[in-house]
Amino acid sequence: MKVLELKDVHKIYDKTEVEVHAVNGVSIDFIEGEFAAIVGPSGSGKTTLLNMIGGLDKPSTGVIFVDGKNLTKFKSSEIIDFRMRNIGFVFQSYNLIPVLTAKENVEFIMNLQKWPKKDRDRRTMELLEAVGLGDRGNSRPAQLSGGQQQRVAVARALATKPKFILADEPTANLDSASTYNLLDIMEKLNKEENITFIFSTHDARVVKKARRVITLEDGKVVSDITH
Amino acid sequence: MKNYRLAWRNLWRNRRRTMITAASIFFAVFFALVMRSLQLGTYDNLFKNIIETYSGYIQVQNENFWEDKIVDNVIGYSDELAQKIKSDENVIECIPRFESFALASSGSRTKGVLVMGIDPVKESLLSDVENKLVKYELTGEAIARLDKENIPESIKKNFSLFEGKSYATDGRILLDLGVKDRDSEMVLPLLRKHASVENGYIKQGEPGALVGDRLAKYLGLSRGDTIVLLGQGYHGTTAAGKFEIKGIVSLPAPDIESRIIYLPVDVCQDLYDTRGMLTSLALQVDDNDDKAIAETIERLDGDLEEPYRVLGWREMNETVVQQMEADDSGGMIMIGILYLVIAFGVFGTVLMMTAERRREFGVTISIGMQKTRMAMVMVYEMFYVGFIGIVLGVAVAVPIIIYGYYHPFSMSGEIAKMMEDYGFEPVMAFLWIDSYFIWQSVVVAIIVILSVIYPVRKIMKLKEVDALKA
Repeated sequence: MKVLELKDVHKIYDKTEVEVHAVNGVSIDFIEGEFAAIVGPSGSGKTTLLNMIGGLDKPSTGVIFVDGKNLTKFKSSEIIDFRMRNIGFVFQSYNLIPVLTAKENVEFIMNLQKWPKKDRDRRTMELLEAVGLGDRGNSRPAQLSGGQQQRVAVARALATKPKFILADEPTANLDSASTYNLLDIMEKLNKEENITFIFSTHDARVVKKARRVITLEDGKVVSDITH
Repeated sequence: MKNYRLAWRNLWRNRRRTMITAASIFFAVFFALVMRSLQLGTYDNLFKNIIETYSGYIQVQNENFWEDKIVDNVIGYSDELAQKIKSDENVIECIPRFESFALASSGSRTKGVLVMGIDPVKESLLSDVENKLVKYELTGEAIARLDKENIPESIKKNFSLFEGKSYATDGRILLDLGVKDRDSEMVLPLLRKHASVENGYIKQGEPGALVGDRLAKYLGLSRGDTIVLLGQGYHGTTAAGKFEIKGIVSLPAPDIESRIIYLPVDVCQDLYDTRGMLTSLALQVDDNDDKAIAETIERLDGDLEEPYRVLGWREMNETVVQQMEADDSGGMIMIGILYLVIAFGVFGTVLMMTAERRREFGVTISIGMQKTRMAMVMVYEMFYVGFIGIVLGVAVAVPIIIYGYYHPFSMSGEIAKMMEDYGFEPVMAFLWIDSYFIWQSVVVAIIVILSVIYPVRKIMKLKEVDALKA
């Protein structure tokens, strides 16, 4: 079942004298439960594509359907609400809310969705256990290592069981051990929860784990291989 | 997590920034309240002194007297007139006054003086002259005697600052000498022993005068001496008389104290050949609030026909009122500048905070928090900072203002002299907690509200992609 569909998506930056075609006619689909990596050299358009998929940016032309809904037609407040309900984000530099504990960070989106406390507590503990941080729920981000913070970020992204997780260079700031640990956790959750994972990366370790690898060059898809 | 809790935690993430913002609001509120209380208290004290020493709140006069203060512009006094005035709901008593000018001389010195004929008994209801008779005088001899007594050095060193000054009350001499409450029981008997002054009072029908302390000093007079008055009486007759000085009065209005002589009103009428006539009836009122005074004047104006005219204290002290209004405007400008500086300080911090947290705003909105909710968190944060600053400012200012209200600062030396030259009592008084408290706090709250507009606007216009790159 298709969860995401991009049709002839272009992104052109024309604010400077030189027009930059960051994404150039990308048309791809993602089905439920995929574990896909978007790879390519710097400037190939990976992050721009991911931002558009996540509704953080709008395509210059083309359409993006998420679960059959045209994302490009949404108003600002609708798109924020849509993101909250359907998309989980994992950022390169973790971006946890510094004043909240690990548990509260994971709970944050459930709170926004007004989940009952009992369900929130159960789901939070379930996820923290799943990412191996069951005993660090009361720690603030500053008290956690980079790898631990990124695991909390993954738990936060998964909290409300979104349609898919977008992860922009999730392992870029992690050492090898943390990278493998995180990839294992994400793969496990992908299988257990059947949530689609889409990474942008140029980390070979991530590419190796991915079951589908989409390669971008100069904003165009040059290869799309499913293992 | 509720918005208010998230905001509270955000606030303490950068303690130093929060403390700086709250401190700038605290100082704004604190200084504005203390400055305003001092300014309004000083005006209040000045007006009270002038009203209670001289004009009263309302006077009924001959319609021409205020513009042309000659004894020909008098009113006839009758019980019916007094009853008519007293029938007003806000009037308690009519106090007869006869006011004119004369040349006063003693020895080789002469001075133009204000002669005030008063009912010695009824006047106690208004200016209470009897209780303003000098009780103590810090003469050189008195200070020499006091210096030999076992008095704390901190008090002794103040003697020289107030040498030559006379006092009508225990409270005022203790205030000037800086005597603390715990020492007053020990110091007062010594002051009574070495610095007290005997004074008598005037009686209706008995020739005798009370003289302002400064005037007495200028003319070199003391109790028991004789003063000669020479002026113009009714319809051009000559008013001349000599009076024994029964007492010296110390008034809180230096300008009046330096030119006033009180006589019993009937003696004064004889002097000016105006028996049965008065220049004014000063009214003792129940409610002296500005609104009540204005309403009373309006009612009396309607009830009394020609040749009577009803004047309020503001009209009778127009120069002082205008002087105070001009000074008040200056004070408001100063407070305005203070607010402006603080507003820029608060805004600067908000500006810095908004720039620092741009990425955080981007992330929070990216993961699903609505911009309006994020803005609300920001409003809560500023509300907390403003609240902390305002509450602390009020909390610190209140005890100081209450202390200053009960213990006004007494000035000495050159500052006191300068204030006296301007006709002010050299005392810095505070005004009791009043509506100005609310206004100062409201102004600071408005500054906080205005400063929150910037981050709210930034959040509402935030582009997530750009913010995430910050």
